Amino acid sequence: MDNKQLYYVPNGTYWPIIGSVGVSTLFIGLANQMHGVEWGMTVMLLGLAILIFMLFGWLGQVVNESVSGLYNDKVDASFRLGMAWFIFSEVMFFVAFFIALFYARNLSVPWLGGEGNNFFTPELWNGFSATWQQIAFNTPSTTLQNGTEISVPVKLVNTWGLPALNTALLLLSGVTLTIAHHALRAGKRNNLIFWLIATIFLGVLFLGFQVAEYGHAYADGLKLTSGIYGSTFYMLTGFHGFHVTVGALMLTVILYRVQKGHFSKDNHFAFEGVAWYWHFVDVVWLGLFFFVYWL
Amino acid sequence: MFKILILTLILIILITLGVGLINLVKGKSQNSITLFKSLKLRIILSAVLFLIVIFSAYMGWIEPNKVNL
Repeated sequence: MDNKQLYYVPNGTYWPIIGSVGVSTLFIGLANQMHGVEWGMTVMLLGLAILIFMLFGWLGQVVNESVSGLYNDKVDASFRLGMAWFIFSEVMFFVAFFIALFYARNLSVPWLGGEGNNFFTPELWNGFSATWQQIAFNTPSTTLQNGTEISVPVKLVNTWGLPALNTALLLLSGVTLTIAHHALRAGKRNNLIFWLIATIFLGVLFLGFQVAEYGHAYADGLKLTSGIYGSTFYMLTGFHGFHVTVGALMLTVILYRVQKGHFSKDNHFAFEGVAWYWHFVDVVWLGLFFFVYWL
Repeated sequence: MFKILILTLILIILITLGVGLINLVKGKSQNSITLFKSLKLRIILSAVLFLIVIFSAYMGWIEPNKVNL
């Protein structure tokens, strides 16, 4: 058997070292920015630029090697395994935050409130009461006897407003992506392009509303520092929003590759990978929506 | 009761997504078809779940979580 059927050994490449330089520069900049150093932001942006340059260069090279037919089934399998490990880490990442949300809401906060052990918690902190401020914005502050200011939730955020709208938008983007997927499998290129653009548009719209939601929440006093609910809320929705951003970028790359004619009815792993990722991010949002507002 | 229904549907959605992933990783031509079908089922079930919850809340059968003061 021809060895080419078993192995593909790519040429030596300089992209990994460029990536390392980019990441180092990025974090040296970030660390110094956080310490208030003047040049921190500039160096950080430079690092980001190097990183983006590396991504374009390296991934572009992989795409070129793929379309020039250098890859065989072994390489294909390695890409798929890479996707599997990537998704495994993503699932673990979000599961950890969902469990943190569950643990705080259903276990640790009630315990601090005296549940199960009848501990008199005001002694822990003057005026402490176990509240779960979820979806409660418009929190005027009140001053405790010892002079500490705390915020008290008084009003529910309207579940029918942005949260429901954003859920509908993401679900709709899942529908448009499924139509695009079908069009690809049926070999209808124009339909594929149209529905892909629609999916990206809905994703960007979602992000826009999410920014508006953060604006409301922040103005009403819900911050990353607003106790355990603020922390878990922003960590979960923030990282989810970051994933939608990445997903929209990947869909844009796929759109570009579709226009270049890189995919066929039977061979379109890149599309399948990104489509699955988009569905995954959508399911994470569904989990957020139902666990935060309904369950 | 309603929570069990919602949780069950979420579980089934997770399973369809998982079936999709397994077929994505396997990568044969039949897997590609199964991947598409499972993702299609995934989005249909998600839309159904969303509509059930929205409709039930509209009818007043369920209420969103309250502030626990």
